[in-house]
Order: sequence, then structure tokens, then C-alpha cells
Amino acid sequence: MAARRAPTVAVPVVETGSPPTRTGSAVGRPVLRRDGPAKVTGAARYTDDLAVPGAWHGVTVRSTEPHARLLGIDRDPAFDWSRVVVVTAADIPGENVVALMADDQPVLVSDEISHIAQPVALIAAPDRATAEAARAAISLRTEALPPVLDPLASERTIAAYEIVRGDVEAGLADADLIVEGTYRVGHQEHVYLEPQAMIAIPRPGGVEVHGSLQCPHYVHTALARALALEPESVVVVQEETGGGFGGKEEYPSGLAIHAALLALRVGRPVRMVYDRHEDIVATTKRHPAIITHRTGVTRAGDLVAQEIEVVMDAGAFTTLSPVVLSRGALHAGGPYRCRNVRIRARAMATNTQPSGAFRGFGAPQTEYAAEMQANRVADALGISPATLRRRWAYRQGDETPTGQVLATSVAAVDVLEMAVAASDFERACAGTVASAVREHAGARARGVGLALGWHGAGFTGSGESYLASVAGVELTAEGEIRVLAGSTEIGQGARTVFAQLAADALGVTVDEVAIAPADTSVVPNSGPTVASRSTMVVGGLVVRAALGLRREVEARTGRPFAEGYREDARTHGASRVDERFAGFPGITWDAERYRGDAYPCFSWSGAVAEVDVDLDTGEVHVVSVVQAVDGGRIVNPLLAAGQVEGGTLQAVGYATIEEMKVDGGRFVNDRLATYLVPTALDAPRIRALFVEEPFALVPHGAKGLGELPMDAPAAAVIAAIHDATGAWIHDLPATPERVLAAILEAERAAP
Amino acid sequence: MSGHAGVHAGGRVAGGAPATRLSVNGRPVEVRAPGGRRLLDVLRVDLGLTGTKEGCGEGECGACAVILDGRAVNACLVPLCQAAGREVLTVEGLAVDGRLDALQSAMLAAGGVQCGICTPGLLVTARAFLDARASGQPVTDAGIREAIAGNLCRCTGYVRVVDAIRLAADGRTSPMAAPAATRDGPGPGWVPVGGVDTTIAGATTDTAEGGAALDADPDAVSPSTLDDALALLAAGGLRPLAGGTDVLVERMARTATDAGYLDLSRLPDLRGIDLEDGALVLGAATTFGELRRSPLVADVAPVLATMAAHVGAAQVQERATIGGNIATASPAGDSLPVLLALDAAIVVLGPRGERTVPAASFFPAYRRTALAPDELIISVRVPRVDGRTAVFRKVARRRAQAISVVSIAVAWQVDEGRWHDVRVALGAVAPTPIRTRATERVLEGGTPGEALAGRAADALAGEIAPIDDVRSTAAYRRAVAGRILHRIVVDAARR
Repeated sequence: MAARRAPTVAVPVVETGSPPTRTGSAVGRPVLRRDGPAKVTGAARYTDDLAVPGAWHGVTVRSTEPHARLLGIDRDPAFDWSRVVVVTAADIPGENVVALMADDQPVLVSDEISHIAQPVALIAAPDRATAEAARAAISLRTEALPPVLDPLASERTIAAYEIVRGDVEAGLADADLIVEGTYRVGHQEHVYLEPQAMIAIPRPGGVEVHGSLQCPHYVHTALARALALEPESVVVVQEETGGGFGGKEEYPSGLAIHAALLALRVGRPVRMVYDRHEDIVATTKRHPAIITHRTGVTRAGDLVAQEIEVVMDAGAFTTLSPVVLSRGALHAGGPYRCRNVRIRARAMATNTQPSGAFRGFGAPQTEYAAEMQANRVADALGISPATLRRRWAYRQGDETPTGQVLATSVAAVDVLEMAVAASDFERACAGTVASAVREHAGARARGVGLALGWHGAGFTGSGESYLASVAGVELTAEGEIRVLAGSTEIGQGARTVFAQLAADALGVTVDEVAIAPADTSVVPNSGPTVASRSTMVVGGLVVRAALGLRREVEARTGRPFAEGYREDARTHGASRVDERFAGFPGITWDAERYRGDAYPCFSWSGAVAEVDVDLDTGEVHVVSVVQAVDGGRIVNPLLAAGQVEGGTLQAVGYATIEEMKVDGGRFVNDRLATYLVPTALDAPRIRALFVEEPFALVPHGAKGLGELPMDAPAAAVIAAIHDATGAWIHDLPATPERVLAAILEAERAAP
Repeated sequence: MSGHAGVHAGGRVAGGAPATRLSVNGRPVEVRAPGGRRLLDVLRVDLGLTGTKEGCGEGECGACAVILDGRAVNACLVPLCQAAGREVLTVEGLAVDGRLDALQSAMLAAGGVQCGICTPGLLVTARAFLDARASGQPVTDAGIREAIAGNLCRCTGYVRVVDAIRLAADGRTSPMAAPAATRDGPGPGWVPVGGVDTTIAGATTDTAEGGAALDADPDAVSPSTLDDALALLAAGGLRPLAGGTDVLVERMARTATDAGYLDLSRLPDLRGIDLEDGALVLGAATTFGELRRSPLVADVAPVLATMAAHVGAAQVQERATIGGNIATASPAGDSLPVLLALDAAIVVLGPRGERTVPAASFFPAYRRTALAPDELIISVRVPRVDGRTAVFRKVARRRAQAISVVSIAVAWQVDEGRWHDVRVALGAVAPTPIRTRATERVLEGGTPGEALAGRAADALAGEIAPIDDVRSTAAYRRAVAGRILHRIVVDAARR
């Protein structure tokens, strides 16, 4: 196949960040990351970098069967057990649960083993080698039970939802064309580059933990429950955290309990740091899903019916599956207006590692399927995928399947047009002759593909009101301005964004604002650092708190805050204003009937991917991705672009090479040599573009951004592979095996 | 910079361990630790230089990259004995006299830092890349991406990392002062309430015993003559170790527990690339990086350089050796099909003297070699054949840092349009790297083109015995082996 055209993305001019030059101008500028200097010099200290004199090393004894009854924990009498401390379920002072949504996940197995690598016992020793030797000297006596490994065969439902709009049967009956499809997506591993790490330190009457984590207050709650401690006797401190992506949302709670149990037993600090192998084997993954669509359209290309079934594999315990499934179901139709919709979704329990939070939280799975359907409908109708979406995409005033009227901040068409224009998508499409590749004349074929995405910002439904997050801004007696928020910096830039927001609200420079540590004894509960909510929801609270503090101080001094706050601190002492989230006006959700405003607003994305397919081997190289996003007003364009670029690559990996193989409930590729994520050579040129459609119900106009870039690119990549080869890959990832099989199929079908 | 605190490790570790001297960030350091301790543990635990991170412990992620005598390497795969007398540069040593390195400034300015855990490894890898570049040599994005392909980053999508390296290469960064400690907590600026006071501020080890090491560290002996090396080997109990990229990975995976290492890195006889008696002679300790850079290799057998560029990524190429690749004898070992196709011979030395074994008979069974337990691989001889063409193609699940799913090397000569002296060798399609002689016979005397390609691919299918494993399937390997051979033969017709 001849080269069709020049690359769509020119080598970018590097736009570098800089500090704002005057007060009140920080928001919207590429302010440099506050934690950057410490990170480039090696001074930043992550959990495993902290030396704690006298600390012992903790290790975990894990199950090796997917389902079994635990009959006993046998210790090899040849080992000198006096050198170590062993903790089992019987030693847990409080409840044997990792508190989260349901109380079904034990801290340690007491009776029934529910999945491979489930924690059964804990060992601490003065050094790691001794702890490992003790672990090797323990054997579990078990009686095997039949495992359930297929979510479709599972009879235990963790959660189920049905969303109905109009009459889907009537809609399908009226359709000129029905396109059906089933799409399977597997576990995706987070591969945060810093494995899980926790240090617990006994304190009089309580415990303090320091760790790599996203949600200090989740850990705090879980520790108090399992250890039967008063909340004030538990302190959780987030240390510098080397990536999370959801993988450090719920998982660290259990690890913190483990470390704390050992620390309290030993009477010394205990360090638990997973190596990469243990991290992959023992921690949560993105939910696998099987999604089936029947899409009814008219000959003219109107969308008249969507019948969707979503089945997610929750794994052995509830973790966050009800809300992951909920988000998946709410996004399952894609950003498309349709009169007749029925979405049935269920999360089923299996004897595999519990699935958990991962960037996008259920939406990347279901949106992949929705976008595949849109592209296949366009293919079947012979119209451009862009034209189809111009017809289908939500406009302001449209109603979603839950009856939510999209009253403001709807930018689906804007991101579509921006991505299409920036990638020259339609010209690229016109140049495509999929059949040409079957001549086997050349070894490679190029294709382009398009997808749209949408992402509800903040917690689903009444989640934000239920959380009632608090954030504050204080002026210390020493004259320092501090933002107090339980939101954590995990690389996304929360510290920098909060400082920008507070600085502008106070009328001071960014450098005058400090961010308090994410230490539960210092900061209020701002809710978890998840769901693309920190900038939008907590950032809004920071702005309001800062404005409140400014009013208070200015009232006392009669001067602008910037000029008077230091003196006010000297004369009046410390001041602090906290703001509690109290709902977005006009946003209502009926959780009982699953109707209403599922999210206060949505963010939007459009992605165009360009791929090269090796027709001999089925190897896919994603050459470029243009992703246009609307995350509302952008507080920091440098950080925002970083979020979009990084999320795009995670989605490209999901689409192409990231495949967790599971055999009998065991993760087979449990090392970084076998679970592969893209290197710099695999990564496409990525171009992030922004539409800024502000959200009016927060003072700074920002919407969620972090997860959105994960939603659309996978389907765009698969569409590009189709464009190159004529073959539709349904299941992710598009491994060379799958792509070659599809190419061979196409070759056989050709004369 | 506070990172230099405690750089001298005097007497911290249990007595009896030998003293090893090396230079870290320009300062002499003496460490008393077993020679088999990972350089990563020496830096982080013994010296308190925690800027170097551990992401995987098996050379896959590059988070622990440091510069060792000018080359980026993964500190998790370097035993202390091999750092002795050498210069180590870590992220803490990049800033000089209170000024950030241009790469550090560029990473900040371009937004190349997010969670930061991969940043130190990326910075030192990029530093080594820029330092190794001849002055005036242009830096391309493709070159940058290849240079950092051994450094995984899960946050940035690499976009701004590449931008930053280009900025620094072009000298387009503004100088920045090394910052004081951040005021945002956690860290030195904050003392948590009820806090951990001085305990959380850059001390070195948790315990007086130095407890953070992986397991009990093996000892190591580093002989400087072949006679000593052979005597030590014959005495037993020591495992030969060259670049460590297999041996130390096995230790991390706990598939091997070695009591001690026989360090081969100090043997001058194993080094060097020469032309002798019409053959290219590669010392067994020649690294893949050296193969890539050697003008002699480029002249005599450029396919070796092509192959070397597909081994792991930069940090692995600078450590892994041709002799180690042969000794490990993985059916997927990248160099092995090439050596088979080039009619290479392996020179080994033992108490019974030296012998030369053709590569084609060096790999009798899965992960077995013709090497006796008391023998060492000394060199590899690749005959110089004028007019020979050789190609190498590796199919893997990603473009760098990946083990072969299928690899193939084909060598031939042409006489009046017909192929002769054809060699076809493959990796990862049988328990050993193999030469497919029936396929060679099909190609011998043939004229390259569609017809010959088709017959060769058919013959190949009957000669290989691939399996399903974690990386791919037997069916895929079988199909692809034929298709890439087909492609090579068809492409040859167009040359």
C-alpha cells in the first residue's frame, strides 16, 4: 500500500511552563509542578526511601488456591519461630474486615480461601531474609473447593442495574439495520512504577502509618475498624506516591492493617514493601467485562435503539464493584442521543483476585464497546465515522437514558470537530483502501480511527452529597498560608492546582501558598483522590475557603489580603476557614429508581488514532493519537496536557499490548517481563488539545479530567486497525495473534 | 544536597565482608558488603542515596538506572563487585555546585515529571545518552525514544520527557538553582503531629544489621587471569557472572539461589573485538552495546549490530554479553540464531585445554550447552565471508525491552541471481535455537521470489516445533515464522 500522506502531527514546539508574574494570574497558566524540584534531584522521599530505625520487615503468607477451606496453618518445627512474629486472623483485635462498601473482604483468611494470593498470615522479622525464611517454613493445610472462574457462570451477583428509556423492543423493530456485537476486555494492571508500600509505627494507644496511597481517610477508617481503635488514635500519612491510577485507592487499606497488626504485635515499626511480582499477583486490576450490544439505526443513520448488556467480573469480594459497575452502566450508551435504550449491567463474583478501581472506573470498558458499535454502524452504512457522530452526539438540552437533561457544558461535537480537524481525519479516511492490503504487496498498512468519549465528573449520583467533603485554607500564626485538603498528590498535580486556585482567590502569588501534608491528623477529609474530582469538587472548596479567609482577614485589616495577611497573623493569630460540600444546586439523583442527574456535569473527548499494521505478523504500532478533550476550564495547561498524554498511552496499551492472562484464577504474566506496558518506542506521538467549556456550578469552572483520556483511544485504535486491514478486532487487546488471525481470515475470504 | 549524607558506609555492615572502593557522584566510597550485593542496595541502604528507585528488581523498568563508567545501567542487575574501582553517578550527583543539570531544568520546564518515581532513572539514562553523543551529532526524537526505551513511565506518555531531553540537547534550558527542600509536606519541611520526628529524614538503614537487602547476599570473587578463573570454577560453588542480566534476574525471581559469583568482568582475555585469521573474534564479555558501536562489526557482520539493537534496551545492552547470552542458552536468546546463521564457533577453555565448538552444535537441549561445568566461554569466532548477506528479524510483543516471540536470521550469498550457502536459523520456535536445514536446502540454488518464498515457508513449517507459552501461541509462532521468512525471501528479490 502506498504511503497515503504526511504524518498528521508535526513535531511539536515545546511549550514550557513558568511561574506567573503577578498575583491573581495563576489559574490558566502553566505553573511549574511544586513537587518537581524534589523529584528531579532525588530528594523526594517515597515510602521505601524512609529509614525508620528499629523497623522490622513484614511479609505476607498467601493462598495458592482459588477456592478452599483453610484447615490449618502449619509451621515447620525446624524453624526457630522465636526469631519472628506471626499474626493470623485470630489475632485481629477488631473486626476481620477491610472496611469499604461491604464488609465481605477479610483482613486475613479465617476459614474460606476465596482467591489465589489472598492474605492468610503475616510475618515480621528483624530483617527481610529471616522473614522470607519464615514464610517458606509455613504451609497451609486446606481442603479444595470448586472455584467459580467465569463471571457468566457465577451465581453470586455483587451488583446489578437496569437503565431504561423509551421502548427498546419497539425501537429495534423500527430499525432498518441492527448491528450486534460482543466485546470482551480483560484485567488491566496499573503498573504504577512504585509498588505498594506501607510503614506502621506503634504509638501509645494507637498506630501511625505512612504509605503510598491515594485516600488517607479510607485507610484511616479501615484501620480503626480492624484494630478496634478510636479514630483519634489512628494517624495516616501519605508519603510521596509513585503513581496510583486507582490502584492505591482501596488496596492500601488492607496493607495498612497488615503492617499495623504486625507493628502492634512486635511493638516496633514494621515496613511492608511489595516487590513487583507480589504487587502484580496480589493487588486489584481493572474489571474484566463482557459487553453485548444490539444497536438499531435507520437507513439515514439515525440511532433509534440501544440494547446493552454489561457483565463485569468483580473477583472474589465487593471492593468498589457496585460503583464501578454503576459508572460503566451510566456510560454504556456512549455520548449519544437515543430515544430507546435498555442497559442491563451486573457484576458477578468469581474466585479471582478482586477487581478494583482503575482510571476510568468501569467507563473505559463500556465506552470501548459503545464506540466499536458506532464505528461498525458507520462501516455498515458506508458513512464516515465523523459524520455519524455529528448526527448522534449529545447537544445541550438532550436527555440521557437516566433522564438527565444535559443543561450546560456539553462539548461532544466541539471535541469531535477539534480532533477531526487537527488530525485531518476525513482526508485520511478518504485515502484508505482496506482491500489493498490483502494483495500482500507491502508488508505494512496504515489506518486511522476515531472515537468519542464522555466522563461524568465527580462521584456518581448522590455520592458527593453523601461524602460532604471538607477542605480548608488557613493562615497560621506565623503568617503562612496553607491549603488543608485530604486530597493527595499522586503525580497528577493536585498540590500545584490547589496552590494556584488558592493564590488567585486570595490575591497572592503561588509561592506564598503552602500545601499541608496529607496527614489525617492535620487535614480534613476531602473525600478520596479518585473519580476526577479533586480539581473540580475539592478545588471548588479550596476556592470558597480561600475567598472566605480573604473576606475575614480583609474585614479585620481593611486592606487587600495580600498586603495585610502577615500583619493580621501577628496581631490576630491564626485563622482558618473550612468549606463543606453541600450539593450542586439543581442536581438531583434518585438512587432508588436510578433516575435523574447521574453526574453534575460531563467531560468530553474525541480521539483519532493512526496505526501501522505489519501484515506479516499482525504487529500493531500506534503512530499517533490526537485527543481533544473538554475538562472545563483548565487550571494548569502543562499539567492538564500531561494527564491527557499519559491517559492516552494507558489506553493505547490497553488496546494493544496489555494483557493479563489468567489460568485457573492465577495471573500468569506476573512480572514486568511478561505483563508489558508501552515503552517510549511503542508510544505514539500524542497531541492533547483542549476545548474549555466551563462548568458553572464551581467557582473556577473546572470539570473532571484525569480519567477521561482513558475512555476513547482504545476504540479509535481498533477502528484504525480495521481501516488498515479490513478486519474488526472485538476483544482487547489487539494482540498480534488476534490481528494476524483476522488478516488470515480476510486473506482466505479474498479470492 | 542532603543526599550525600552518610556516603561513607564505614563499619555499618557485619564484620568479615570485604571492603569495596568505588566512586559515587565524584566522591570515594568504601563499602563493606558481600560482592554479590546489588549496587541498588548499596546505594539505597548502605549509602542512603535513595534517589535511585526500585521498580521491578529485574531490569525491566529502568527506575534504578545509574551511570557506571559513562554508561547507563540498571543498578538492580549490577553486583557490587563489578562496581569496584568504577565511577557511579546517581541522580543525586547530577546537580553540580547548586545548579541543576540542564536535563533536570528541562524536565521541570517541559512538564516531564508527574509522580516522579521513574524520573531519576530517566534523567541519568538521558544524561548518559547525551554525553555519549559525538558533539554536533543531531538528536532526533527517534534517537531519544530509543535511548530511554528501557525506562518505563506510566504517567506521562513520554511526550514531555522526550521534549525535555530535546530541550536539554539543544541547550535551550534556562539555568536553575537547585531548590531548597519543598515546603509542601510530607518530607523534611514538615513534622507530622504525633510525628516521626527525626526518624523520617534520610537516615540510612533501618537496623544495625542492614536489613533491607533482598536476601543474604552472595559473595563474589573477581579473578584477573583466566588461570585463576578456571581454578576457582573447578573448585566449585561459584556461578560465573558476566553482565548479570540473567543471573541477577534469576535471583530476584528466586529461581536460583547462588552462594557465590565468579565475576568474569575483570578478565582482559574475554574482552575486545578483533579480526584474526579471517574471522571476527568477539571476546565473550563483549556487550551488545559494544557490538552496536564497533566499526569492525559494522564492516564484517553488520547483522550482529542489528541484532544487538533489539536486545532489551540501552541499560541491558550495556551489560548483557554475547558470552552470557550463549551460556544462558535460552531458545529465545537474541544472538543465537544470528550466530547459527553466520556459522559462528564458540571457543571454550577448561582444564583440558581450549576447544572450538560450532554454534550449530553448541545447544544440545533446552537451556543446555556443550560447555562442561569447569569450562568458560572465551570468545566467539564469526568467519568473514565476503559477499554474504545476512538479515535478522525479531517479532516481539513490543518494540523494545521484550523477549522474542519468534526470531529469525537468514544468511546467503548470490551467484548469478541464485542463492547459495544459505543459512536459516530461528529462535523461540523449538526447545533450542535451531538451524532449519530442510528449509535451507529448498532455498539453496534457488532464485528469490514469490515461488521460492512460498516453498521455503512451507518447508519451515515442517521443521519447527513451537509451543504455547506466556508470550504467544504455537499457532501464531508457526504462522509468523513462515511469513517473515517469506517476506525476507521476497524482499531479497527486490534488492
